[in-house]
Amino acid sequence: MKKNQGKKAALIALSSVLTATVMAGCSSDSAKEGGTAPQSGTSSSTSEYPRAFSYWVELDGDSAISMKSFSENAAYKEMEKITGTKVDFKHPTGGGTQVLEQFNLMVASRNLTDVIQTNWFNVARGPQNAIDEGTIIRLNDLIDKHAPNFKKYLAEHPEVASMIKTDKGDIYAFPFIRGDNKIKVYYGPVIRKDWLDKLGLEAPTTINEWEKVLVAFRDKDPNGNGKNDEIPFLLEVSTVRNDLLNAMIGAWGILDKFYQKDGKIYYGEMQPEFKDFLTTMQRWYKDGLIDKDFAAVDGKLKDAKTSNNQLGVLYGFSSGTIGKFTDLMKDTVPGFKMAALPHPTLREGDTPAAGMISPTYPGEHSVAITTAAKEPEKIVKWLDYAYGPEGHMLFNFGIKGQSYDIVNGKPAYTDTIKSDPNKLTFKQAQAQYMRSHYGGPFVQDVESFLQQMKYQEQFDSLEIWSKAKNQLQLPLMTLTADESKKLASIMNDINTFSDEMIVKFIMGTEPIDNFPQYVDKLKKFGIEEAIKIQQTAFDRYSKR
Amino acid sequence: MRSYLIRLQKDLLKNKAIYFMLLPVLAYYLIFQYGPMYGLQIAFKDFIPAKGFLGSPWVGFKHFEDFFGSVYFGRILKNTLLLSLYSLVFFFPTGIIFALLLNEIKGRIFRKAVQTISYMPHFISMVVIVGMMFDFLARDGLVNNIIAMFGLEPVSFMRSPGWFRTTYISSEIWQNIGWSSIVYLAAISSINPSLYEAARMDGASRWKQMWHVTLPGIMPTVTIMFILFIGKFMTVGFEKIILMYNPVIYETADVIQTFVYRKGILEANYSYSAAVGLFNAAISFTLLIGANMTAKRLGETKLW
Repeated sequence: MKKNQGKKAALIALSSVLTATVMAGCSSDSAKEGGTAPQSGTSSSTSEYPRAFSYWVELDGDSAISMKSFSENAAYKEMEKITGTKVDFKHPTGGGTQVLEQFNLMVASRNLTDVIQTNWFNVARGPQNAIDEGTIIRLNDLIDKHAPNFKKYLAEHPEVASMIKTDKGDIYAFPFIRGDNKIKVYYGPVIRKDWLDKLGLEAPTTINEWEKVLVAFRDKDPNGNGKNDEIPFLLEVSTVRNDLLNAMIGAWGILDKFYQKDGKIYYGEMQPEFKDFLTTMQRWYKDGLIDKDFAAVDGKLKDAKTSNNQLGVLYGFSSGTIGKFTDLMKDTVPGFKMAALPHPTLREGDTPAAGMISPTYPGEHSVAITTAAKEPEKIVKWLDYAYGPEGHMLFNFGIKGQSYDIVNGKPAYTDTIKSDPNKLTFKQAQAQYMRSHYGGPFVQDVESFLQQMKYQEQFDSLEIWSKAKNQLQLPLMTLTADESKKLASIMNDINTFSDEMIVKFIMGTEPIDNFPQYVDKLKKFGIEEAIKIQQTAFDRYSKR
Repeated sequence: MRSYLIRLQKDLLKNKAIYFMLLPVLAYYLIFQYGPMYGLQIAFKDFIPAKGFLGSPWVGFKHFEDFFGSVYFGRILKNTLLLSLYSLVFFFPTGIIFALLLNEIKGRIFRKAVQTISYMPHFISMVVIVGMMFDFLARDGLVNNIIAMFGLEPVSFMRSPGWFRTTYISSEIWQNIGWSSIVYLAAISSINPSLYEAARMDGASRWKQMWHVTLPGIMPTVTIMFILFIGKFMTVGFEKIILMYNPVIYETADVIQTFVYRKGILEANYSYSAAVGLFNAAISFTLLIGANMTAKRLGETKLW
């Protein structure tokens, strides 16, 4: 890094000398040079875009299928042509905790790249602390002066402007924003519609109806192979404690972890409703309605079980599950059909308390500029491009004439994306040209999302999953460094403990009668103080 | 003291070239082994990356107190000790026994084949090893299929806390039995053949020869290996545990090292985890000194 900085400084010095003789660089020239050769002198230090900067970002799975680095992505190549900026992408290896590990080590070792894309809410002690400790910089003034597009967007969307700030009013990142309510619903319960039809059953809506259907799936051999090998329901342990991804708990009228009701903060896992939820899950597990392997299911295993024609109900995505498996299975399993299920309720006709609705600003894929950046104002300018009209098209749809065309005044993906000759899925094909299949610092366009879908069931799923009250969720609040630290130290112990206990409750190794002891333990860990911290932060947020 | 320094000086001058060759090794230890110890001070500080090692505020023994008072302290200490003890009892002797058995095999080709096959798992990457374990031990995997042949219920080996220690130690044996026997085989081959001849003259059976000649012959090696093993007592293979475990089996699988990893690297609690690591190292150090002293008292062999 240090060496790079030295090199960069030398380049800047060299280029400023050249500027004296060469007129200010014109960007189309530098595009031809590919922005690589310093001796070209075309993109001078007086250019409004940076000559080069480093960019830490996770390489998502769909991109990793066809490329080693985002520098191979068509949208970023185009960006380089437009701005003359050479972006040096640094991708962490592996996934999950490995990414977090590499992020933490980067921050601790001060080996910072110029910009970092991550979910700053998941970073230890939160975004405000990252600014206060000097890891990233406050962007308010820079956005004011150098990011006209983004500034305009914020002025037009004041609700977003308040979401992306900390309590102190600091803007810490260029955010990923879901530009339309339709994009906020993409995940929920999915059922094998063809199995339902075969057994002459209706799509279940209440927990009791769910149970009846699951029992039928277990006993009546819906896949017709003569073997009793059906897995009625795949409950993923990693999502049980995640109310965005598993809204089942909403049937009982609460959320797991923290939620608010009439301005008051509660912790779901100590409520009596949670005990009822666990009791039901334990019964389902015992009766063989829940997959025996649920405690250690990962994406690979989930895919395997689904494509093995064994699975009746699972939680999944509109395109990543319904679309993907319908494509994949229609040849091997005649009549294969998946459909979205409404979030279950306890009583018939009720509206579930929680469904799927992700926030406009989800926190993830946000780009912050670190203190290591030499010319933050130029990087801001570069990042701002994505929020302007041309950048919006580039990041959402890719290259005109290649990945999309304008049809009836609307962008429409070409066949390159829709039916890739190399058998890439829709998203994998998108990944080569744009970033909207996954996320990034730009405003996601609703068309980029809707055009992923080709089956009626996928469109229906958005409608079905969005039916919920969704009044319990907390906004993305920011805490002070002290609060974050305190909360993290309480919640780390609680999360380790609850991860274990909830699996044990469901598997029946811990009797449900021990629930009161579980709650006592949570109190001993300091859950009440954690609730108090959240309450203070929530009150502060409400006053913003 | 003075005379010692003079001697050293003379020796340095005389064997310049040899000492010169020692330099890279010395540099390695200074830079990579002793240098980082300077960072250990963060165990007594509240480490803030931006302020660095020197700038972060001192907090004394706070992190140690937090650790000893933590709800998980008892559990991870117990898991670490038990796992270490079990590998000492069940894994450590396997190399010796295997070497003794190999030594008794007379067929050269058969012996080589057995040896080579037993080495193999040692050269497979840990990630692959654990992947194989997950496959073999899955509910519909190899082992459960065999169990099912006997009409027994399938077992969730990788997901039940009760099985963790068994699977861990067994896989350790499978992975390392061949490799750890090499050093003992070498020791056996250096035993003077005339000792066997003499024993045979006295009418000793194969078993007696092994018991009275081979075993005493490799005892010094066993002692050294034992001391080295004790030195690593508290650092049970944590890479493997991290790959193997999940929240369901934390109860038995979480050891000090994995706890340090989770706290320090994943939750960015560097100071806390440095304190826990230091505590761990202190125990290992004490054990190593203790083992060496005991060995010294019992016999001639010792590490230093």
